[in-house]
Amino acid sequence: MKKIATFATVLAICGGGLYTVIAAENAAEQPATAAAPAEPLVCFESRKGASEVTQRDLKPGWPNVKCSPTTGAALWYGDPFDGTVPMGKMPGLENLPEGHALVKPRSEKLALMPLCGTSCHNGVGPQFTPPTLPKDKKPTPIPTMAGMVPDLANFQHGRDRIWCLDCHHATKRNMLVDNFGDPVSFDQPQLLCGKCHGDKLRDWRDGIHGKRIGEFASDGKKRWFTCTECHNPHNVQDGLRNKGFIQLQPEPSPQLPKGMADASHEKLHPIPQH
Amino acid sequence: MAINEKTSADPVRQSAPACPAQPASADPSQAVLKTTRRDFLKAGGMLSMSSLMGTAALMAQSDDAHAAIEWAEHFQKNYRLMTAEEKAEAKARLERRYSGEYGKEVTVDTTEAQPGVLMGYALNIRKCIGCRRCVHACVAENNQSRGKDRPGEKIEWIQVLRMERGKFEQEKMNHGYPEGLGIQVGGNAYTPAGQVLEGQYHYNPEKVPEEDATYMPIACMQCEKPPCVKVCPVRTTYREPDGVVVIDYNWCIGCRMCMGACPYWARRLNVTNPVLPKEEMNPVTHYLGNRPRMRGVVEKCHWCLQRSRHGRYPACVEVCPVGARKFGNLLDPESEVSKILARKNVFRLKAELNTFPKFFYFYD
Ligand code: HEC
Ligand code: HEC
Ligand code: HEC
Repeated sequence: MKKIATFATVLAICGGGLYTVIAAENAAEQPATAAAPAEPLVCFESRKGASEVTQRDLKPGWPNVKCSPTTGAALWYGDPFDGTVPMGKMPGLENLPEGHALVKPRSEKLALMPLCGTSCHNGVGPQFTPPTLPKDKKPTPIPTMAGMVPDLANFQHGRDRIWCLDCHHATKRNMLVDNFGDPVSFDQPQLLCGKCHGDKLRDWRDGIHGKRIGEFASDGKKRWFTCTECHNPHNVQDGLRNKGFIQLQPEPSPQLPKGMADASHEKLHPIPQH
Repeated sequence: MAINEKTSADPVRQSAPACPAQPASADPSQAVLKTTRRDFLKAGGMLSMSSLMGTAALMAQSDDAHAAIEWAEHFQKNYRLMTAEEKAEAKARLERRYSGEYGKEVTVDTTEAQPGVLMGYALNIRKCIGCRRCVHACVAENNQSRGKDRPGEKIEWIQVLRMERGKFEQEKMNHGYPEGLGIQVGGNAYTPAGQVLEGQYHYNPEKVPEEDATYMPIACMQCEKPPCVKVCPVRTTYREPDGVVVIDYNWCIGCRMCMGACPYWARRLNVTNPVLPKEEMNPVTHYLGNRPRMRGVVEKCHWCLQRSRHGRYPACVEVCPVGARKFGNLLDPESEVSKILARKNVFRLKAELNTFPKFFYFYD
């Protein structure tokens, strides 16, 4: 317990400096959603806030992406490989031709990440083994971290069975940790998530879970959406809703049939409700 | 009457028999009857001659290129009967016309079905959140009419059906019919459990998915035995070898037989002149796919032929935020659709109708 406390104090000290980083980041995100005409049009992809594409013309009249005027979501891809990099090593995909498995890097979205391994955590992990849960096997909230990443305040992922260092590397904090305890990049969260969600990893690799865009042939060039582009690792349940995907605003509904003022007829219940 | 084995290049012309035999195949290029539309006009006697002359006279009044194009279009063959040259001609003509109309370079692709490809689609019904992004991606890709003012001016091929989800409730365990037997059979008479098939298309909550709702997107199922093809009196809708049911819009007479026959509510008629703003028009088109349609013709989903014939995923697959939509080659055991069929629980909508859709619903 004492060790955890000192640990938290160290975090608290460097936390102050980071607040400003967060504030600046939040401020920078504001205008994108407001979409003034002069500003470049930015649309979000799957999970709002997780990844975006900035609209530009690839050739006259052919944009890389079209955005929904209603919700700001990406509605059409002119270039499915915009901003992608090779996925890196992924067991089971070795036979794909070079450069056919692509992902969009996560690290550029993570404001804190460059600081984690340098400013605060200096390569010293907790002194107990396994380093994942504190000694009493109960996750203990870390107010400093919760201050920087609000989702950490009510951390539900795994329902109290997993904790920070199950996912974050104990000594290299700017890395995640794979099944063998080796550090992996934030750009390859699949190697982390897959150690506990093996079935989902297999389906994801084969294109059944999650999503791939580009060429549909099994050896075609594709972009895989990484786990964290859809799931917030710190809030996989979407709060109390207990679902794996966060709610979104829907696109507009279809045109009403001729002569109908509204669609209240659809709400008539076929079976009387008691 | 001999059966014509040659399918396209230069169909042998014969005069129409006195009593036309029923064609043996649904594919007109295989048909026993060899009267072409042109022959019919040639042999048609005074009536058709005079109508031809009437049209010619009309045309003479305007030397407009547009009229010449319309004339050529009016007398072009059913797409399946066209020779390669005729297809190239039609393609060039359409490209010229659309490029002029929409003020940008429009291409009309005529790529045939690729050998070794049978397209298939799978949709994860558990994941769908009802956000309708697929609906609007489809419109952005496929040049549907998007007017707002008059009814029927806004055409969408995908419909997302919202269904209420019932519950099994402890305190209602003994309710239902017959009362007091303690079994909820598919729910009870008062509170439905499972799905209630009456649904909503016009739902518009602030956020989706809503609690206690399930969403079911429906579009053309690309049936192997499509009822719409069976009923089409002009045989302008047919199934391609790669599994997609297509429409040659030029030959569609707008009779709506197919709309009535389709058990999946997949077909739409252009009741008005399609409203397609120039800047929103997608210039990459396919003859049997998303090229601009005219008033009075029927259209429907064709799995983005202009993309999928070139190996690209359909537009709806690419925008689904939850990754519920899957597309691939059924003949390739490594494709995602083949793997879904092997691994997951799969069903087809209204399978009892024996339409054999190539569109599958699944859940983990
Ligand atoms: C299930 C695995 C998992 C657990 C448990 C977990 N994290 Fe994370 N964390 C991640 C992943 C993955 C990312 C990268 C998120 C992304 O790509 O959007 C991340 C990102 C972060 C970031 C960087 C955020 C940013 O915006 O730069 C911080 C800080 C962080 N985690 C702290 C914690 C703390 C503290 C805990 C324990 C309370 C914790 N995490 C628990 C997986 C986890
Ligand atoms: C150390 C193991 C571990 C890792 C690593 C891990 N998870 Fe989990 N995850 C769990 C556990 C345990 C549960 C809860 C299962 C349950 O309660 O049924 C869970 C649940 C989930 C759920 C379902 C939500 C729920 O609670 O029902 C999602 C979605 C999920 N994880 C996504 C991820 C993603 C994405 C990653 C990678 C960033 C990841 N997980 C990494 C252990 C892990
Ligand atoms: C394209 C978006 C997307 C991607 C990418 C994605 N998922 Fe999911 N995932 C979902 C959706 C949607 C659900 C269903 C949530 C629900 O049931 O409401 C889900 C559910 C889950 C669940 C819970 C399953 C259950 O049965 O309750 C786990 C675990 C999970 N995902 C893990 C992963 C992992 C691991 C990866 C990366 C290898 C990943 N996901 C990538 C969208 C995605």
